[in-house]
Amino acid sequence: MRGDEFEKYLSHELRVVNRSLPRVRKSLKTLLEERYPHVPTRDGGAHMFRKRELIAAAEVLGDEAEELLLPIVLEFQVSAERTYAVVRDPVAAKLIARILGLPEETPIFVYPVQLRELRRRVGSLITYAFLP
Amino acid sequence: MPQLLRVRPTKIELIRLRRRLKTAKRLHKVLKDRLIILSQELIDTVKEAADLRESINERLVQCLTRYIDATASSTAAEIEEYATSRYEEASVVLGTRAVAGIRVPVAELERVERRIAAERFSAALIRVGACFDEIMEDVLRLGELEASIALMGREVSRVKRRVNALENILIPRMEATIRYLRMKFEEREREDKMRLKKVKELLQKRAGSSEGR
Repeated sequence: MRGDEFEKYLSHELRVVNRSLPRVRKSLKTLLEERYPHVPTRDGGAHMFRKRELIAAAEVLGDEAEELLLPIVLEFQVSAERTYAVVRDPVAAKLIARILGLPEETPIFVYPVQLRELRRRVGSLITYAFLP
Repeated sequence: MPQLLRVRPTKIELIRLRRRLKTAKRLHKVLKDRLIILSQELIDTVKEAADLRESINERLVQCLTRYIDATASSTAAEIEEYATSRYEEASVVLGTRAVAGIRVPVAELERVERRIAAERFSAALIRVGACFDEIMEDVLRLGELEASIALMGREVSRVKRRVNALENILIPRMEATIRYLRMKFEEREREDKMRLKKVKELLQKRAGSSEGR
């Protein structure tokens, strides 16, 4: 494989993993009012949310639920030595901290072992982004 | 020892190779992170699907036992009427969600219940209805999980092949070639130094002999 082919493949792979990121994010309140809660994605598709997970998130957050923008983007820094995700949105960080029983701080760092619980409780509300 | 790449032993090539190695390592990290997420998701989905299938099978036996009990107190026509008149509308909403670059299905069951005169049907029959209602949602979830397993499994094997190729073949070959080129340049430098030394000695010798004359 030539050098430029590597570059091409790297950018292709980053495009592939990030193609399903949301084009717009919607608030939890808006999504709860929709019949089919979803957001459009960059590749022209849609990311659908499970209603029971939306309700569960609203219950966990209480009054702050209206400010939560979905889906929650978990950013993976490719240049980092270890694999972990960062959540920068303060309301989303609060939700994750409460689900995982972590101290409420922004940004919050999520390690792969903690993703399991997150997926089980709010799997359709999260999405992954890979940053070069 | 890993094979060497076929490159010209020049400094430019060494610089290019170093740049390629850096890119290859970044690509390896992207793929590896993605593989970690996908594998975890796959394992969880497989476990959940296996548990759900077992629970559905157990509950199906219970529901069918209840159904047999219900047939003792209701006629076939009553059972059919109850089964077909309970919902105004029942539909499945199918969508997708994105998991690390792949789309997996999301299915939700939507049912609009119809008001029926419950006193017209036996309690045993109503219990059968409730039992099958619970199973229906889980069967849908199981379908969603099994479709996700197939999609994720395919992607995991694809990504794994690429990670292995980078980890075991391409990156070691590049590193070995860089090492080889470095050694080659060092050797060339040493030879140059030696040659210069020899030339210097020769010149000094010549200068000495011409002074002597």
